[in-house]
Amino acid sequence: MSVARYDLNKCIGCKSCITVCPMDVFRFDEKARKSVIAYPENCQSCGQCFVNCLGRSLTIVNDMYGYAQTSYRAATTVAMNRTAQKVIDR
Amino acid sequence: MARTISRRDFLRGVAGLSAATAVTAVAGIPAANAETEPELVERVTTELPIPEAAAPAKTEYECDVLVIGGGFAGLNAAAAVADQGSRVVMIDKGHPGYSGLSPWPSSHRWADKDMGDDYDALRSCIRHGSEYLGNMDLYEVWLEESKGTYERLKGWGILDQYETAAESGYYNQSGDPTDCSGDYQGYHEKFIQHDRRTKFTAVLKEKGIEYADYTMITNVIVENNKVCGAVGFHVPSGTIITCHAKAVVMAMGGGCYKPTGFPTGGVTFDGEYIAYNLGLPIAGKEFDDFHMTLSWAPGNAFLNNNWTYLDPLWLCGGDITPETAVSYATTKGKVMVLDRVTKSMSGLARSDGTAVEDMSKQDVTRRGGSSSENPEEVRFGKRNDTMYKGDIYGAAVGFGAHLSNGVFCGLDDLEGRTSIEGLWVSGDGMQACGPTGAAYPTGVGFTSNYVSTMGNRAGRAAAEYAASAVLTPVSSDRIAEETEKIQAPLNVEKGFDPTWARDQLQNIMSPYWVYIAKNETTLKSALTQVEYLRDRVVPKLQAADYHDVRMCLEMQHKVLNAELRLRASLAREETRGLHFRTDFPYRDDENFLCYITLTKNADGGIDIDKVPVKDEWKGDLSEDYKTRYTYYFPKELETLGLPAEEETGGWGGKK
Repeated sequence: MSVARYDLNKCIGCKSCITVCPMDVFRFDEKARKSVIAYPENCQSCGQCFVNCLGRSLTIVNDMYGYAQTSYRAATTVAMNRTAQKVIDR
Repeated sequence: MARTISRRDFLRGVAGLSAATAVTAVAGIPAANAETEPELVERVTTELPIPEAAAPAKTEYECDVLVIGGGFAGLNAAAAVADQGSRVVMIDKGHPGYSGLSPWPSSHRWADKDMGDDYDALRSCIRHGSEYLGNMDLYEVWLEESKGTYERLKGWGILDQYETAAESGYYNQSGDPTDCSGDYQGYHEKFIQHDRRTKFTAVLKEKGIEYADYTMITNVIVENNKVCGAVGFHVPSGTIITCHAKAVVMAMGGGCYKPTGFPTGGVTFDGEYIAYNLGLPIAGKEFDDFHMTLSWAPGNAFLNNNWTYLDPLWLCGGDITPETAVSYATTKGKVMVLDRVTKSMSGLARSDGTAVEDMSKQDVTRRGGSSSENPEEVRFGKRNDTMYKGDIYGAAVGFGAHLSNGVFCGLDDLEGRTSIEGLWVSGDGMQACGPTGAAYPTGVGFTSNYVSTMGNRAGRAAAEYAASAVLTPVSSDRIAEETEKIQAPLNVEKGFDPTWARDQLQNIMSPYWVYIAKNETTLKSALTQVEYLRDRVVPKLQAADYHDVRMCLEMQHKVLNAELRLRASLAREETRGLHFRTDFPYRDDENFLCYITLTKNADGGIDIDKVPVKDEWKGDLSEDYKTRYTYYFPKELETLGLPAEEETGGWGGKK
């Protein structure tokens, strides 16, 4: 999972996230006129909802990313760690 | 939105483009807010309960041609049908333009004599680089029609050129190429009128094409070997949707087992599953592609692909010439195939940062330009950014090699026509045996153009067929039967979570000895595991709602794909392109200049056949081995008793 709510107050009910999500993560509460992150466990962290969120109500967080199934060890140069941390901290 | 843009512009005006401003204004959380707009109300980060979704107003469609899938192939197919005056309906599991792989191309390539392309050089490159399995007849079609495709997409606004993120200042300003930050939302909003994904539905609306979104087609209905239409369900509400059609174009994409770092999760072999169960032969399954991701954020598709998504499509070509045709293909083989193999087997040194690719230094071209690194040359596309992109492989396990896998339509097919009357397949992962053969020697940007070209051809052919065909509607019995299958996971009392099953499959298929450097023992061992999933888990996948139902059905498709992939890999007892067998580490022209097809037989088993490619696609068989093949797998030359070469391969500068 990686989409998360930055601030539900900022959701303007435009339904962009619902339109663009290929993973069926969102639902829409017609009464409250707010989107609902209904199935975050299926988020593929593509970020389409994030860049298309007109109210800037959504964010991308790093804490529950899935990890690539790979035999490689992670590259661990200082610069890369710094960048990763910068992104995570945001 | 207007408010947001003006705030950004205001910030830019006042603070200029200093490094500090740009870095604090980066995405994720609009940090600038905190500095300029005190928060009056506390943020709410909790979600409302999941609401019930309303059923769509329309649940039954009738048309001449149904197009399933709203990506590049589907869009071009639907447009071609509409242009012929036939009634067309498009049904997409997500929303046209945003689903499957279509949001993610970085580039677009076409063949252009007027711009100096030498078609013989292009032919030579693809024949060599596809390792003699490339379908040269389909490549001729592409040479002939790709410029028209480019112009069509340009006319639709999909190829709009605008400032790249690097040029615009929205890209990170720190000067540190490993800094993935930037104002993603600001950049997107600034150029939103050029957002190519919005153009998909604009084209549909302009041409009066009806479409249904968020609807998963679960079966194409065929009676007496003739198409009647398709059945599926509106995922949010669980409403059964039926479409009666004279012809169907399946443009449903390929798939992967679990998206990690490459955003392919929306495609899950739905079309392949349907086609296989209709008795159509499936081919190309032994060639595995496995995209790249970042070792420091391997599951994060956004970090890996954000600028690809946001930048204009990079127009390219002109890089394959008579002088470079063979070396171009060789380099592609070394970079895209051999490097994956060698690094997957050896691993990387713990702090090896050299494997990271600096995109600003990648050898690239733009259309009409050259492959020089002359800074004076204008380039379009993400390669303007200095951002590193991907130092490890394994982002999309299950992903087939572009354009070589899917339904096998016969050696003479040029439009994706299947042996079922009224049924066409089109696009990446659906129509097998494309020009790319065993690898992908074409250079970036080929896929988006090729599938658009083939979508157009399938659409035209289907419309022509439908003009004189008679509609046989889907019977109510078949609708009831399909409804029962769709709803089955809701009735499983004790069973398994599809997410758990997905992770099991990923774990079985992703080790390098199963997926990259294969041998008989490892493949058979994985096959045993997959058969367990098939027989003991898939029938007991359990759904609590229709979102889960989608997941359960997708898992069923993925498990079939894994079985087909393993069986095809076992059958190809040689090494070629994106298929490496450590127990047969060499190309075997005598026995394997063929496609491997897998077909469901009357007993429910799988028939595996070899279909030799046309003689004229095989290249010059009298050439010696080291002329025909110009890069070599581990132990290949040794096994053949040929003189060894220096180590080859090396994404990221080690060529």
